[in-house]
Amino acid sequence: MTAGARVDFFFSFRSPYSYLAGPRAFALPERFDIELRFRGVIPMVMRGQSVPREKGLHTLRDVAREARRLGLPFGRIHDPLGEGAMRCLRVSEHAVDVGRERDFVLGASRAIWGEAVDVAADGGLRPICERAGLSWAGCLAALADPAMLERVEANTAALAGLGHWGVPVFAFGEELFWGQDRIEDLETALLDAGLGRSG
Amino acid sequence: MSTTRDLLQRRVGPGVVVALSRISWPARLGAGLRRATGRRGRVELFFAFDDPCSAIALTELSGRLASRRVALVLRPVLERGIPGDPAVPQKRRYAIEDASRLARRAGLELGRSDPLPPQDARFVAEWAASAPQGPSLERFCLAATGSLWLERGAAIDRDRLATLWREQFGQDPAPADGPAALARNERLMKRRGPYDVPAAWVHGRWYFAHDRPAQICEWLDQLGWRAS
Repeated sequence: MTAGARVDFFFSFRSPYSYLAGPRAFALPERFDIELRFRGVIPMVMRGQSVPREKGLHTLRDVAREARRLGLPFGRIHDPLGEGAMRCLRVSEHAVDVGRERDFVLGASRAIWGEAVDVAADGGLRPICERAGLSWAGCLAALADPAMLERVEANTAALAGLGHWGVPVFAFGEELFWGQDRIEDLETALLDAGLGRSG
Repeated sequence: MSTTRDLLQRRVGPGVVVALSRISWPARLGAGLRRATGRRGRVELFFAFDDPCSAIALTELSGRLASRRVALVLRPVLERGIPGDPAVPQKRRYAIEDASRLARRAGLELGRSDPLPPQDARFVAEWAASAPQGPSLERFCLAATGSLWLERGAAIDRDRLATLWREQFGQDPAPADGPAALARNERLMKRRGPYDVPAAWVHGRWYFAHDRPAQICEWLDQLGWRAS
């Protein structure tokens, strides 16, 4: 068995497909001998890429169907584009530092896509942080810390460096897996690499 | 502080889109009327011969629909995608990797490892766009996409595709209105909503056909066109 393998999970808080992928992504280390490294990236539209109206409409309709299939709440939405997404990204870097990224990322994305919480407002973000086990003071410090933004920008540059454009993306060795519906292919690759946990 | 406009854009608009997408009674009613008048269901597949995921989707859908009273209507296109998309080369290359994995799931193996230039496939798209719908067209498209993507070869072999055409239609391909038929398909795809291939339009909903074959069948089940 290969020890210490790493899977990078590129994620955007503005991507509903990232939201769908989250619970299964964070559960991967329970079944595979991997380190899952969360890498939050700046939303595509804020990176200068256009998203036509048809794509936006289709995404909402398709995610609604897939969320229902996966048993995830979806439809009470507050689009975090801009400040909301950036605040979540900075706090998620702080959450990584204190080992709470799973709770924060899942909680924040559920709040955005299933509970219509405005994460650009302190009143929306603070309860999410505290439910994830993060101190609000620590989160406020992260929001003001330029190093957190630099890490987010580095993640975004790393995704571009891999030649990819969208999220969620899983990077395992040289292989990239784009989309919440490709997690099963990632799992196949992890099994092929002998990384499945027995029992 | 959120303004009214901000709330409409961020909250109300997306919520309305999702809520409307859950309304299925008009499609169910239409499907009931179709069945009552002896008509089959329809899955319209917009696909491209130069796209490996289209080859997988076509194979998958053809197999899954064979046991249902559902017609697979084939609409080849050439022009598609997001206008001005800077990631087109990366997407074409990634499509091969992705289709390889989807092929593996289906017990198949992709034979080609480099993208095909769309314009190289224009002639075969024009042939198929101008052909009458039916089993001969479906068999030809399956054979042609199989030849292009599941067999090993560097370039598109026009003679080989012409042979496949003659096997199905009994004559040489000579589409007088090929360019116009192809353009009609592309216009129809835009009207229906899909912006890329392979896309299946199924009684009021559209799906990326390589990603959602099971969901397409679930929708057909809900509409009453179950597998026999």
